Amino acid sequence: MALKLIEELCIGCRLCQLACSAAKEEVFNPELARLKVISTYTKTGLNYTTSLCSMCLICVGICPTEAITHQDGHLVYDQDKCTNCGSCITECPEKVITSREQGIALCDFCGGSPACVEWCPHHALINQEVN
Amino acid sequence: MCYTGKLLRVNLTTGQSQVEELNKQWAVDYIGGKGLGIKYLYEELSPGIEPLSAENKLILMTGLFTGTIIPLSGKLAIITKSPATGTILDCSIGGHFAAELKYAGYDGVILEGKATKPSYLYIEDQNVELRDASELWGQGAQDTELILRDKIHEDVKALVIGPAAENLVTMSCITSEFYRQAGRGGVGAVMGSKNLKAVAVKGSGSISVPNIKQFVDTLQEVMRTDTLTDTNLWVNTDGTPLLVDLNQDTGILPTRNFQEGTFDDYQKINSDALKTVRTGKKGCFSCALGCGNYSRSGRSTVEGPEYETLAIGGSNCGISDLEAIIEFNDLCDNLGMDTISVGNVIAFAMELTEKGIKDFGLKFGDVDAYLKVPGLIAAQDGIGVDLGLGVKKLSEKYGGSDFAMQVKGLEFPGYEPRGSWGMGLAYATSDRGACHMRAWPVADEAYGDLDPFTVEGKAQLVIDLQHYNAAKFSLILCDFWALSMETMGTLVSNLQERTVSEQELTLVGERVVNLARQFNVREGYSKDNDTLPERIFKETLKTGATKGQFLPREEFEKMLAEYYSLRGWDHNGKPAEAKLQELGII
Repeated sequence: MALKLIEELCIGCRLCQLACSAAKEEVFNPELARLKVISTYTKTGLNYTTSLCSMCLICVGICPTEAITHQDGHLVYDQDKCTNCGSCITECPEKVITSREQGIALCDFCGGSPACVEWCPHHALINQEVN
Repeated sequence: MCYTGKLLRVNLTTGQSQVEELNKQWAVDYIGGKGLGIKYLYEELSPGIEPLSAENKLILMTGLFTGTIIPLSGKLAIITKSPATGTILDCSIGGHFAAELKYAGYDGVILEGKATKPSYLYIEDQNVELRDASELWGQGAQDTELILRDKIHEDVKALVIGPAAENLVTMSCITSEFYRQAGRGGVGAVMGSKNLKAVAVKGSGSISVPNIKQFVDTLQEVMRTDTLTDTNLWVNTDGTPLLVDLNQDTGILPTRNFQEGTFDDYQKINSDALKTVRTGKKGCFSCALGCGNYSRSGRSTVEGPEYETLAIGGSNCGISDLEAIIEFNDLCDNLGMDTISVGNVIAFAMELTEKGIKDFGLKFGDVDAYLKVPGLIAAQDGIGVDLGLGVKKLSEKYGGSDFAMQVKGLEFPGYEPRGSWGMGLAYATSDRGACHMRAWPVADEAYGDLDPFTVEGKAQLVIDLQHYNAAKFSLILCDFWALSMETMGTLVSNLQERTVSEQELTLVGERVVNLARQFNVREGYSKDNDTLPERIFKETLKTGATKGQFLPREEFEKMLAEYYSLRGWDHNGKPAEAKLQELGII
């Protein structure tokens, strides 16, 4: 499964980011979310900037200590094994993985039922099958 | 809980800023947003000051819910003394600025004084800096935002003004994210008078609430069962353009400067017509509905037009060309002007021309002349100098006061009060002049079960609606979520860890309405100002469901007297001392 945004349904409310930060950080702060969905107007139209885990698994492959693994269709992070090398942050093509005071923060699909998808009011954010 | 407890006070004259504690008792009594902003302004502003002088203040106020996951809680209240009316003025603006300000650590900002040169304020958490804006001065509102994004950060949030506000036009607005406006009463001109082109903010902080997981679960249930319902989802499927058909059917669609209540070409400017040019949808921070219709037509793109622009800038000017209305909307947005007041002054000038009182070269339905006006007003050029005065002052200069559609200097929104008599009372008693955001009895009268052509029961109806909106805009929630006062109380209770009843919130609403009234009384306003243009009292409408209708003056006076009596105000509209004491205002 991977997150996908259907842009024509998205209203840019950031409820997905608020739901994520509440679920994972126990505060409201869109910047701490493990995804980003921003829509902004420009002179030429409505632009979307997204940062969503596509389950490419590059982070799993590059982690030298197996701190990030792929289990039951989602990522699992073990902070005890993390050496803060930063490889996953650098290599994540979607810029979803970010650093924390201790270790990193990644999208683990909330263990299978992502809060962001549950909160999206117009079903613009979906959890879809990937190969 | 859920306040940052901090206010940022900025002296624009010196460029110095300081952080102070939020007055906790006032936060209990007035909550936030509209109410708390009015309280601060009432306490800090000397009576009689000139609104466009350095003595006026501009207050930006978030609310208890701002920055949380509560749906439709993304709005910011902006409070000042209006240069258009001389009354209290609070406007609310959507977008993402309010949440960003709270993440930066502030419940509100009080802007004082006047910058010595064109400047913009940049707030990044605890760092506050008044910066040179010489390269921004003269730029359109949208252009200014693009430059700020380029200079600061692609995701910076900003309040900006356009050239109209720089030129102190009293129908200028404050803009955010291209198409969201604090629109009415010349709030933009106050910013312009302070040489303040923009306020930009980046915040990195977090907001904590008690038992957050339980809170989020509760709110998700509220969103699914109370927000995303048929009662509210018209906002997403159609948005305000839906009102064109409703108002045509009920005979309250302002046409040719409120000469008629129906428009033959209404189908060219209604929601179905707008859907043919819609290219996207947009909401504000934490909005679950998304009212914004992104439209493209001809050489213009705009989020809108909203109903008010379709009616006041469309049928009320005799304009049925949707592409022209979209261009008018786009022009006003980038110049930074309120489409309601600009549309009204054009319509008034068209009627002055039609009647031979003063020839402005404007005729109902003349698209080319109509599209030239926004630029002329903003630049204060040609007829724009006169039209920039607004309807009231223009009528004082040239005549036509009987059909100058304004109250206290603020032009009418798009609801004909001869087809909704309670709306007449709502316009007359609104704290900022003719406004549909203080009470909107149209829903009960024109669309609902109440007889629109009687004053019976309307005083209490308007009072109840004014209290509801005053509480809602103090929380601060968007107008488009039709939630009950009881649900509002539940939301507050969840955050405050105490039970806040519907009655307590109603009392807050009443307190806010009375304090706003007291502000206006202090400025010299009285019953004489709580009135409507003669057209409403004397002229009958000629078409549709309101054919033959007018609002007899004696009926209006009866309704107004009952309103004062029910409110505990004297016969001159002044709140009695006992009422002010009861509400804890004095």
